[in-house]
Amino acid sequence: MSDELALPSLRFERRLVPSRKLNTAVSIFSVVIGLGSTIPIFLLAGVDPLAAFQQVFGVFTTTQGVTESVTRAIPLILTAVGLCLPFKMGFWNIGAEGQLFMGAFATTLIVLMFPAAPSIVIFPLMIVAAFLSGGIWGMIPAFLKSKLEVNEVLTTLMMNFVAILWVDFLVYGPWRDPQGHGFPLTPMFPEQARLPMIPGTKVHSGLLIAIASAALIYFLISFTRWGYEIKVLGESLDAARYAGIHSLILTLVVMFLSGGFSGLAGMTLVSGIVLRLRHGISPGYGYSAIIIAWLGRLNPIGAFVAALLFGGLLVSGDALQIGLGLAFSTVQVFQGLILLFVVGADVLTHYKIRVRLR
Amino acid sequence: MEQIVKRFPGVLAADHVDFEVQKGEVHSLLGENGAGKTTLMNILYGIHTPDSGKIYINGKSVSIRSPKDAIGLRIGMVHQNFKLVESHTVCENILLGLRNLPVVLKLKNAEKAIEELSKRYDLPVDPRAKIWQLSMGERQRVEILKILYRGADILILDEPTSVLTPLESKNLFGFLRKMTVEGKCVVFITHKLEEVMGVSDRVTVLRGGRVVGTVATTATTKSDLAAMMVGRRILFTYERREIAAASPVLEVRDLHVLNDKGLPALKGVSFAVHAGEIFGVAGVAGNGQKELSESITGLRDISSGQIIIEGKDTTGESVRDTIEHNIAYIPEDRIKTGAPQNLTIAENLVLRSYRYPPFSKGLLLQKDEIGRNAEKLISDFNIVTTSKDTLTRTLSGGNLQKLILARELSGKPKLIVALYPTRGLDVGATEYVRGLLLKQREMGAGIVLISEDLDEIVSVSDRIAVLYDGQVMGIVPAEAANIEEIGLMMGGALKKS
Repeated sequence: MSDELALPSLRFERRLVPSRKLNTAVSIFSVVIGLGSTIPIFLLAGVDPLAAFQQVFGVFTTTQGVTESVTRAIPLILTAVGLCLPFKMGFWNIGAEGQLFMGAFATTLIVLMFPAAPSIVIFPLMIVAAFLSGGIWGMIPAFLKSKLEVNEVLTTLMMNFVAILWVDFLVYGPWRDPQGHGFPLTPMFPEQARLPMIPGTKVHSGLLIAIASAALIYFLISFTRWGYEIKVLGESLDAARYAGIHSLILTLVVMFLSGGFSGLAGMTLVSGIVLRLRHGISPGYGYSAIIIAWLGRLNPIGAFVAALLFGGLLVSGDALQIGLGLAFSTVQVFQGLILLFVVGADVLTHYKIRVRLR
Repeated sequence: MEQIVKRFPGVLAADHVDFEVQKGEVHSLLGENGAGKTTLMNILYGIHTPDSGKIYINGKSVSIRSPKDAIGLRIGMVHQNFKLVESHTVCENILLGLRNLPVVLKLKNAEKAIEELSKRYDLPVDPRAKIWQLSMGERQRVEILKILYRGADILILDEPTSVLTPLESKNLFGFLRKMTVEGKCVVFITHKLEEVMGVSDRVTVLRGGRVVGTVATTATTKSDLAAMMVGRRILFTYERREIAAASPVLEVRDLHVLNDKGLPALKGVSFAVHAGEIFGVAGVAGNGQKELSESITGLRDISSGQIIIEGKDTTGESVRDTIEHNIAYIPEDRIKTGAPQNLTIAENLVLRSYRYPPFSKGLLLQKDEIGRNAEKLISDFNIVTTSKDTLTRTLSGGNLQKLILARELSGKPKLIVALYPTRGLDVGATEYVRGLLLKQREMGAGIVLISEDLDEIVSVSDRIAVLYDGQVMGIVPAEAANIEEIGLMMGGALKKS
């Protein structure tokens, strides 16, 4: 017997042009394999995998499931499409979560200041305030990076905690609802400051803001010279300087927009779903958006689709918990596995794998 | 070292080189860029292994396969770019890589030993300081201490003065003398004639991978050495049509500029370039060439002095201004600066003009125009590619440079700054690039051609300036150029006003 193992060797070869057909095929394939990999988890948890898949399937086929998925996706879409801009530029904005909280804060501030203003006045004010405060929150790390070379991963990440704790301070302190039985939340928003449902559906009109934002960013990236500048700066700072691009201004503007769209996500949360500001307004949408933006290949349309699927995945988790009584941690394993396969399969679209038998 | 041969793809870096160093001497290795100085010493230090040839230490034949072997043979090398861990202390850096260290370091003892060593050789440095806090001169002392701590008898210093201030250089030379008194030997790689004459006992001159000769410094002169370094070349000049003298396109007056490390890179440079003239700037790389090209093209801030374009003072203008003044720039780094790799060819062909009509209207990019421009330039400049939408990283070196030239030269520039435009290109591509520059000259552009290839400078330029240590050593007309004189200027031994 030969003692040499006949292990095949794997070689990764970069594909010059990833094809669109292949992308679709790989995406579908990875979801199927991912679902397959969760079977042992369900069996271990004592649940019939078929029943579990039925629950998940239901989320994507019933009106109620789709409605909930879309609703969950709205803040994800806004944060993720906003992240496409800085990521394309090579600016690692990990701060969407904080920018979202600042948007939620500013929205609430407007509502508290003008409790009696009619919708037609208060909505534009809320949108502008949310966008401005999220945007300014995003510009601070951009400025620090461009002027002082402070690593943006650290600043954007740390500023999340500042923003979250700032909101906590308000809802535990000065803004706490006196009739709230001591819970850390503000009074409910008045009727005219709540985002109305889109007629004929049970999805709030934040979806329209999300669609418009995705379309706007797609337009910016693909058709303006500004998108071109972002691409060049993302490639290399030296090339950008050579091309006469003012990197400081570009970075500031990009981070203002990125933070602004995250701010809008915060606005849709407080005025579309929770209808007040409270502790823990976002369960980490700003972080999930990082994965979503990459899944969408930093293309706003791609990120839009990925966010919808991600919303579905979140709702599937709820369905598994409620419908089959699965523990939250089991559900997280399920979600994690699906994501792992989808992200991992991305390699296949960029690299050919050559298997050679020795 | 006997009959050392080393081939790299496309070049013979060491061609049957014989080289010897004796105990107690400082031996200089002199030559232009690419003469093979560093390669030869990297072979001695075990970084490269020779294709053939033998190395003897103290008369014994040895095989050096890695720096570890070299250190074992008491050979130490200070590289041009220091290899230190910035966030560690001096002491930790010196201990790094030593074998037989105890699991728990007795840093106190080591620090003491280093302090003694640094006192003995007059190399003041605090063993507890972190590397990032130190100046370049101090870092070099750390590298030298590292070698001494390991116990070296043969010290190799690769262009050690390129990062030093004049005072630091003087101290270094004093130290080298001290080493030789102790019977150690020093190999000193340099291109500066002054230093060769000042510090070394003997000198070996390399050119094109071959030894031109080894002489005692007492038996030679700077001009002899310069002649050996640049050689008597067979020059063939390109057909150049005479062009009537015109007004200057570019005037540089008393330019002072700092390099990336904040040290003076240009120290009062003045010259003028006329329309229809190729102004060659010769010199060994690292003497201010990059800074000169960047200050003319708006990429680098100027400390003092003036830049005048067509009679108008443009000092302090931005890159965008220089683009609008129609100044073309062919940068040194093609991949990271000249043509970013993940842009398509069409996108790269408008890298510096995308914001102007017809490629932009307001904020909107005109993709049709950009595509049409790309198709025209691809065929005009014979860029070999499958399509204009192919990613730039698929292009070969020569085609990449063609792309950059196509973009920079298609707009009828009035001034062209070309930094090492033929570096790394094969013969065919080199000829093509030179031909294009000559054509631009005939069309009336003023051209600043910065090159380390002396043949290139002499054969295409109208006038030649030599840059050494941030200063212009002299400007001579190409017809009257005396190659030995240029060699002296490149080595800093001659200055003509």
